[in-house]
Amino acid sequence: MSDAIGDNLLLDVRDVSIRFGGLCAVNKFSLALPPGALYGLIGPNGAGKTTAFNLLTGVYRPDGGSVYVQGKRVDGLKPHQIAHAGLARTFQNIRLFGELSVLDNVRMGAQMRGWHGLPGTLLRTGRYVKAERGIDRHARQLLDIMGIASREAEQAKNLPYGDQRRLEIARALATEPKVLLLDEPAAGMNPQEKHDLMQLIRLIRDRFRLAILLIEHDMKLVMSICERITVLDHGETIAAGNPSEIQANPKVIEAYLGEPV
Amino acid sequence: MAETAMLRKRMSVSASESPEELRPPAWSFVPRAFAPLLVGTVVAGILYFFVQPAIGGFGSNLLLFAGINIILAVSLTIVNGFTGQFSIGHAGFMALGGYTAAAIVYYGSFKIYGDASFHGGLVSWTGRAGGFRGPLLGSGDLLFVGATVAGGIVAAAAGWLVGLPSLRLRGDYLAIVTLGFGEIVRVVLQGTDEQLRRYDLELIRSTPMLKLMNKLGGALGFIGIPAYSTVFWVYLWVAIMLIVAVRLKHSSYGRALLSIREDEIAAQAVGVNITRYKVRAFVLSSFFAGVAGALYALQIGSINAGELGFQRSFEILIMVVLGGLGSVSGATLAAIILTALPEVLRFVDQYRMIVYSLLLIIMMIVRPQGLFGVREAWDLFRRRRPRGGA
Repeated sequence: MSDAIGDNLLLDVRDVSIRFGGLCAVNKFSLALPPGALYGLIGPNGAGKTTAFNLLTGVYRPDGGSVYVQGKRVDGLKPHQIAHAGLARTFQNIRLFGELSVLDNVRMGAQMRGWHGLPGTLLRTGRYVKAERGIDRHARQLLDIMGIASREAEQAKNLPYGDQRRLEIARALATEPKVLLLDEPAAGMNPQEKHDLMQLIRLIRDRFRLAILLIEHDMKLVMSICERITVLDHGETIAAGNPSEIQANPKVIEAYLGEPV
Repeated sequence: MAETAMLRKRMSVSASESPEELRPPAWSFVPRAFAPLLVGTVVAGILYFFVQPAIGGFGSNLLLFAGINIILAVSLTIVNGFTGQFSIGHAGFMALGGYTAAAIVYYGSFKIYGDASFHGGLVSWTGRAGGFRGPLLGSGDLLFVGATVAGGIVAAAAGWLVGLPSLRLRGDYLAIVTLGFGEIVRVVLQGTDEQLRRYDLELIRSTPMLKLMNKLGGALGFIGIPAYSTVFWVYLWVAIMLIVAVRLKHSSYGRALLSIREDEIAAQAVGVNITRYKVRAFVLSSFFAGVAGALYALQIGSINAGELGFQRSFEILIMVVLGGLGSVSGATLAAIILTALPEVLRFVDQYRMIVYSLLLIIMMIVRPQGLFGVREAWDLFRRRRPRGGA
């Protein structure tokens, strides 16, 4: 199904659309993430950013268009299949496994790649023990990288807000993705925390050779970290380009500040 | 790129790189896998040979029913506690398993021995203590164990049929479907043909087993089943149930179930096929409910679907909720308490059930999360530390 361009891109989104009744929530959304990309998706409230994420990750099924992850077509697949294809995400309204421990949350991500079935689990076979050990090691490393290793035994719901966001990223990384979608990772953080988080996101990108797409409201932040930005408004892509182009784009200014009088 | 490769190598799931973790022989898991079962067998033996004679007939009946209730409560914990789905038809699976095992042992005995009396060994002897002269195990025990497993398998198959469509949907559909399922099972079993008796011996012998499966006694219930299930067998199955539940809970597999309970969307986002896991948990749970039904039928020597309606399902559900949704030890303790409580409360005479209900209400007000919440008894006694690989 894929062509030459699709093979070089980690994520290739072409003209994806979805309608809810009469409302066109996202219209012909296109995006291409090469390896190592750190792109931003911005737009006023209700522009369709999170809907776009949900379309890519299979939470919603697109009405039209196609999505490729590492050259494999994934639109129409179930969310868990898309996760296996190498697309991981975090959520705007944090979705951790609240009753589980911090470590277990990351193990949940890690176990996607080190798998074994029910008989092995109940009989505690050698393969099972080995896989479980690998999952454990992988999860602890990621907690280390995200700087929350000291809280591994706590219940996830008891973590402070910023750490919950970090934990969500750790859990997503544990699935060993190629593409990481971050939905407002810095929401609710103070400027210093935001700065640290952005450093961390850059580090993750370099270390794991990921392509990252993030939604963020803090303009200064997006402009300083993202190499390329796509702007949505009312489901339409009104602009795409590097930060300085976006800042100068009259359509973007209009979308954020209203029409000039 | 080199750094990634190194990182990958460090994070690789293989444990055989380091010399101290040389590949063990393929059978090396056997002691690890079956050691707890051996302990369970010993405990069941002690309960049967030493504890039961000491506590008398009344006490040992209580012990038996507590064991059967533990299996029911813990199996339901896998669905309602771990996976967070709401099933309220557990007695239906119990009835299916019970009737299957009853029919196999009853008609099977006629086919094999020509009568429906006891052909087991010492561990299955339910009669007067000391009144048995014979080997530890008899050929009838084989029939009994096979029938118990068959009861579990029939219940598991039914669980698969019920779970597959209803677990695809989000929300409370499972509750409605399982409630309906339990009632359908009850009505169908009550509508079966008259049970064939001793004087129909030739007819029983000439009729194939499957055709005998609709002669289950109808509304009168299935009676005269040779009794095999003793404290030993019941607690052997309790041990198997507990080993399965605890191992499941502390594994990736069990974590996947817990993650579904916590957040279905997030579970999918980390690659969990939620429908598949829900169905498997449901099938596993149904299997043990069927086994419990078989043990129940083959203990009292009769089974009546009328007693296995939704009221029985709710009794089991109460045990699970009281113990704490997701806690294996909680469900076990709650099953023991709720089996013993009506007997302990006999001193308040006719107000017994009122006091029983009041105690439940008070319990739910004081500890709405159940006895142990999602945790286990042993978590409360030591600093909570997540378990490692094994």
